[in-house]
Amino acid sequence: MKIAVTATHRSLDADVDPRFGRCMCFVIVETEGKEIKNHKEISNEAIQATRGAGIQAAQTVANEGAEVVITGNIGPNAFNVLSQTGIKVVTGATGKVKEAVEKYLKGELKETSGPNF
Amino acid sequence: MQKIASTGTKGGVGKSTFAILLAYKLSKNKKVVLCDCDVECPNDYLILNQRLKKPKKIYQDYPILDKRKCVKCGLCSKTCKENAIFWVKNKYPMFIYDLCTACGACIIVCPNKAIKTKKKKSGESFINKVNNNFWLITGRSKPGITETGPIVSEVKERAIKFAKKKKADYIIFDTAPGTHCSVIQALLDVDKAYAVTEPTPLGAHDLSLILELLRKIRVPSEIILNKADVGNRKLIEKISEKFKTKISVEIPYSEELVKAYCEKDLKRVVKLI
Repeated sequence: MKIAVTATHRSLDADVDPRFGRCMCFVIVETEGKEIKNHKEISNEAIQATRGAGIQAAQTVANEGAEVVITGNIGPNAFNVLSQTGIKVVTGATGKVKEAVEKYLKGELKETSGPNF
Repeated sequence: MQKIASTGTKGGVGKSTFAILLAYKLSKNKKVVLCDCDVECPNDYLILNQRLKKPKKIYQDYPILDKRKCVKCGLCSKTCKENAIFWVKNKYPMFIYDLCTACGACIIVCPNKAIKTKKKKSGESFINKVNNNFWLITGRSKPGITETGPIVSEVKERAIKFAKKKKADYIIFDTAPGTHCSVIQALLDVDKAYAVTEPTPLGAHDLSLILELLRKIRVPSEIILNKADVGNRKLIEKISEKFKTKISVEIPYSEELVKAYCEKDLKRVVKLI
């Protein structure tokens, strides 16, 4: 399973960026069972967008083939397009990227049913 | 027919006041149409003691997808400068209408003509007769519309058509504050623009922005200095010299004037100036 996590810099040990659309970058984590197999970092072009950063960021993670997005907060536009594409959204994540993924795999972080601002 | 604009980047400097006074004064012996182009918050009608009735709707063409023709190439999404089209490889694009400004770029680039349009209301316009020589055209955008430039151009077109029908001598456009699309639309093709400002550091800074814009779109301009006797006049003189634009009218600050204005007593306002 591919999980996209918003991060403050390009590392598994980076903090989870609380913003979705204007996060510094994404860490795409590949998991197998309850373990992290692989990961890569991609930049977020949407950080420069004057409008619609959430849409552009959602497009980036969707094109990476992510099935789950873990972030702090997400707005209505980004949430709607992600859920319509079948991507699960987890909000309220804090701490390191790695820890957030592990928590999600253990079922300690839950998927959200709507945007949280 | 002469086309005049009352504009400025700073809010609250007296753009509308100047536009109304000018229209009022000219209407003594000429036919005048005043067009309120501040469509996000039109208020000339309030000062002129008018009621907005019988709205005429303004529509814009928003894109809709014809799935039978779409080949999911994503060109529409890549073209959209507003990030209003969400597209993922091998999927149909999705239009996000909250972000769409109805610019039509996606319709032009679609190689399969798979994007059709649907008219949606984006604003409305009103006509008021203030006196026998003075008409007011007001534009108002629908709340929530983020790009109001196209609404301004539609209102402007209607106002010009109306002014021609009435054989008006002057048409005065009262613009929104700023230098964005909605202001540019209102200023394009006018014969003369009056940049209204006040002698404060912010007023001076904003004046240089609007004069720069007017120079770029080749509209001759003059400066109207409101509250001229308070603040620092030198700030404005400097910019006047830099842009070789003269200060043509100075309006002193007066509490009496503000009172008369608040009481919608135009005759008294005119007398005081």
